[in-house]
Amino acid sequence: MDSTPTLPIPISYISGRYLLFSIDAVTYLRREHHICGVLIGTLPQIPQQNVFLGLPLELMPEEARLLVDKGVACIVDEAKAHDGMRSLLEEDRRQYLRELESQGQHAMRILADRKEQQREQTLRKLDEKKAKAQAAEVAKSAAGAEAAASSVPSPAEKDGPNSTLDIFGGDDKPSSPSPATLTNTPTPQQVMGITPATSYPPLPHPASLACELLSKPDVPLSYPVFAHLHSHGYFLSPGLRFGCQYVAYPGDPLRFHSHFLVVSAEWDQEIDIMDIVNGGRLGTGVKKGFLLGGPQKRRDEVDAEADRIDTVRTFSIEWAGM
Amino acid sequence: MVPQQTESPSLELSALTKLIDSSSASGRPLAATTIQILHNLQHQHLWTSLQIHDISTPSNATGMGNIEGSISTAFDTPPTLISGIPPHRVYTHPDEQLFMLEKGIQEDDLQPERLFVIPTAQGQPWSLRRMAAVFDALPSLESSQREPVISTEATDTVDSEKAKKLDEYYERKGHARVTKEWGTKRVLLAMVNKGMGGEGTVVYYIVQEGEVKPRQN
Repeated sequence: MDSTPTLPIPISYISGRYLLFSIDAVTYLRREHHICGVLIGTLPQIPQQNVFLGLPLELMPEEARLLVDKGVACIVDEAKAHDGMRSLLEEDRRQYLRELESQGQHAMRILADRKEQQREQTLRKLDEKKAKAQAAEVAKSAAGAEAAASSVPSPAEKDGPNSTLDIFGGDDKPSSPSPATLTNTPTPQQVMGITPATSYPPLPHPASLACELLSKPDVPLSYPVFAHLHSHGYFLSPGLRFGCQYVAYPGDPLRFHSHFLVVSAEWDQEIDIMDIVNGGRLGTGVKKGFLLGGPQKRRDEVDAEADRIDTVRTFSIEWAGM
Repeated sequence: MVPQQTESPSLELSALTKLIDSSSASGRPLAATTIQILHNLQHQHLWTSLQIHDISTPSNATGMGNIEGSISTAFDTPPTLISGIPPHRVYTHPDEQLFMLEKGIQEDDLQPERLFVIPTAQGQPWSLRRMAAVFDALPSLESSQREPVISTEATDTVDSEKAKKLDEYYERKGHARVTKEWGTKRVLLAMVNKGMGGEGTVVYYIVQEGEVKPRQN
């Protein structure tokens, strides 16, 4: 699980959104850089199912900007990056399809092995039960089980996954993609469909095409507060569900409750005190603090957005209960 | 109809209105707010040794020169602070609370602490700069308001064990003040419901500088 993807990680920019399609990149960013994003992928057949979402991961512009500023990621215009798809050689295309198919066969085989193991286990358990129950018929039932086991190849006898792939790669004629091998497995002759989430095994890694990279994402005025809290070890997620800008967690959101509802303001921006009361009371109601903060410098006072991050001051607000 | 009204005894002004009138603050809305909140602290929340502090205007600070006149009127008025000693602790940091639980220290055993209050009224303009100005002024105000240490000799002889624990607590507290483990500088933000239809309710919020983890309410 400690795989490190090739850096910089390409963030796909598609119609105004920053998306990640590689599960390796998603886990790596969460583990090493405290960037969680939001999973937005549903099942095409059941789009109403939105409790457990999957890839792709959508990043806030702030998250994408932070990663680009750190040099961990780069922004790739997805449409342009896939222009190269047409220029792919026919031979490469076939090779890639074959590879996908062998991956599917491999997955199928692992699944069949597991089924087989489970079958054997249950058979063995049944046998033991029988042996206990009918002491007289021990010999007979055991012989039957042995016969059953010998007719089925045990998973240990098979070759390692790499060698099986090689065998199929060699055996298969490119003209006949559906193989009629695997005669000794009792499973149906199906190949699992593999849908890769990323397109850069056939295409070159997008980061290597330096000309395709987009500029840094535009961020809202609240970016300095975001970066300030992130640098203090907080995990930040969008604050829509609590009516604020960000929700700040002291650790991974899967392990911790959040500490703060974060709202950012410019240094001289007029704040209605009623908003402080609203935020303070809402935060206290859900066992959180209300964090109000902002950079002391305006955008036109500094050269780069990064210079504002160091000037951020924040205030934690809680209901006093009196 | 009209004569009747003149004959009926006119309603007396409230005690609060009389107080604000008598203190010649009725012309200055912010001063009136301060007095109203001080009155609320004194009589509703039973705070003691209340004081009013004027802190230097944030317009004296650097970087205010380029603010236009329309905004500066809101910022030029010097913020006033109230300070006083509450009958009970208003805020205890969760880690401090844990330490007190472990040592078996009751809140009543501790010396009362002076707390600063920012008086504001609903609808009054506010900004991060004003908030920061209050926090920047706090250390000098606090040092000028050092409480004389109340002699605890009487309790010392009664319960030396408790006194020892309290010494431990104060030592730990001094350490925590430096490391900011038990929260940072804190003030109480008071907002009074005022103006047309305002009924004079005052709400209080604890404001601390920086990221201070919330109490497990």
